[in-house]
Amino acid sequence: MNAQRLLAFLVAIIISAPLLLPDGQGVGLVNAILIWSIFAIGFDLVFGVAGMLSFGHAAFFGVGAYTLSLLTMRMGWDFIPSLGAAGVVGGAVALVFSYFAIRVSGLFFALLTLALSQLIYIMAGTKLRMLTGGVDGIAGVPRPDLFGIDFYDDGNYYFFLLAVFILALLISGLIRISPLGQALRAIKSNEVRAEQIGFNVQRLQRSVFTISGIYAGVAGGLLASLIFYVGPQMLHWSTSGDVVIMVLLGGMGTLFGPILGVAIFEIMREWLSTQTSHWYGILGLIFIVCTIGMPKGIAGLIMQLWDRITPGGKS
Amino acid sequence: MSTIVIGLSMGMLLFLLAAGLTLIFGMLRVINFAHGSLYMLGAYLSFQIVNVTGNFWIGLAIAPIIAAVIGALMERIALRPVYDRDHVYQLLLTFGFILVLDEAVRIFWGLEYKQMYPPELLSGAIEMFGSSVPSYRLFIIGFGVAVSAALFFMLDRSRYGMIIRAASGDPEMVRTLGINVSLVRTGVFSFGAGLAALGGAAAAPLFPIELGMGFNIIIDSFIVVIIGGLGNIRGAVMAALLIGMTRALGYSYAPSWVDFLTFILLIGTLILRPEGLFSRKGRTA
Repeated sequence: MNAQRLLAFLVAIIISAPLLLPDGQGVGLVNAILIWSIFAIGFDLVFGVAGMLSFGHAAFFGVGAYTLSLLTMRMGWDFIPSLGAAGVVGGAVALVFSYFAIRVSGLFFALLTLALSQLIYIMAGTKLRMLTGGVDGIAGVPRPDLFGIDFYDDGNYYFFLLAVFILALLISGLIRISPLGQALRAIKSNEVRAEQIGFNVQRLQRSVFTISGIYAGVAGGLLASLIFYVGPQMLHWSTSGDVVIMVLLGGMGTLFGPILGVAIFEIMREWLSTQTSHWYGILGLIFIVCTIGMPKGIAGLIMQLWDRITPGGKS
Repeated sequence: MSTIVIGLSMGMLLFLLAAGLTLIFGMLRVINFAHGSLYMLGAYLSFQIVNVTGNFWIGLAIAPIIAAVIGALMERIALRPVYDRDHVYQLLLTFGFILVLDEAVRIFWGLEYKQMYPPELLSGAIEMFGSSVPSYRLFIIGFGVAVSAALFFMLDRSRYGMIIRAASGDPEMVRTLGINVSLVRTGVFSFGAGLAALGGAAAAPLFPIELGMGFNIIIDSFIVVIIGGLGNIRGAVMAALLIGMTRALGYSYAPSWVDFLTFILLIGTLILRPEGLFSRKGRTA
């Protein structure tokens, strides 16, 4: 057993908590963790693997949520094709963003993605009010209707989310070990060199940004159906900030780290918000301390500890 | 006429923020996400001080000093340990500051809007070219011109300005010359934080004081520093006036398109001249 397996084991325990605990306790929390994990896994493809810090992922997340809601509620589409469409639209918006944002790198990239997503947020609140319901959002977003199973029961919906989550995790794992993943890591460590070797850097970055947008769109659609509601808050920059915190907290650039980050974020949200109304500020402090003290996140910490306990057997 | 006054006064406020942002970027190579929060903090502090002392000018003077101290602490405690790492970490840290500062404001002042009035002396309006103009807006323009003049004088003529310019260009060389560059960095960050809070304190009587005010202005300030060219303080002046005027004209002729106009300016700049509209011609390679 190496550290990687240990992380996988931890993740497995977290996501199967409703099966392990009596009476399916914690299913609501785990459902949220599964959805945000899909978002975070996709985000880490851009942030952790390709090394691009985006502050605009709320746009893809929110647009996916609106797409699913509008297609199911106004157009009468079935849930599954609508979820697919949420991913496609999320990816398409990401592709459009990337044409502007990839012209610049580093800090400019973060600023430009932030500005573009804020433009979409403003549009959803004003110009597109007819479509989006303005600041009120849209309530009554449905859940899937499949095989006669009642997905309005959180316990049943858990299995649906679990299936999507595992699929998302598998695809992300494959991308990471694929030539695309390797090329992206090459770009991250040295963009100029990667270009000299002959990689089309911009096209690779655009591809991974679009894939990440698909992940965000699907996750947004799922969250809208989980809470039966979509509102402009999902497009707000603080949603982008949340996913950055989750990924950094868990461990950027690792497959399982972001999921741990999501779990801790959500458990804190659940627990701290019952203790104090100022949980977000406490989260900010924790975030600052983690950024300074453990830049590889919890996954990095666990791997380090593991290497120390098992001398000789370095993973 | 009043549109021009509103545009110029907005431009001046934006410049106070953008100048700090651009100075900090030039010196530390980090974009301070929390700059808007410091601006907001300046407004709340000034509100509090005015409530206690009843004197607007004390608020305008003290609020930036408190913010500058907070800024110095932020740099000292959090940013300094991560200078060796990728710049992304510094950006993330300043993002963490937003969460903490916003929460602090929420703890001390709650969620309600606060309202402040201009001092007695400036609460009237002045007739200019056939339209009446609030004298507080005129004061902001004059104040902004004075502060920027002082700033330019400091940067171009004084010894401190010389050190800052030199350390922005080549910190290693400046360190070899026996200057404590770490201290300069703390100073510049603290100074930028003070400028942001000065902007906030000056803006407090114009707008409702609320939690969202920091984020609303930070996006505009980012746009200003990008259009002006990052690290280019002269460009920031022009860009701040450009954005201020765009906003003012937009509000009076096409209010629902204001945000689009500014974003189009930003996107156009990044596509056509990513180094900034007002950067001087110069080759780096």
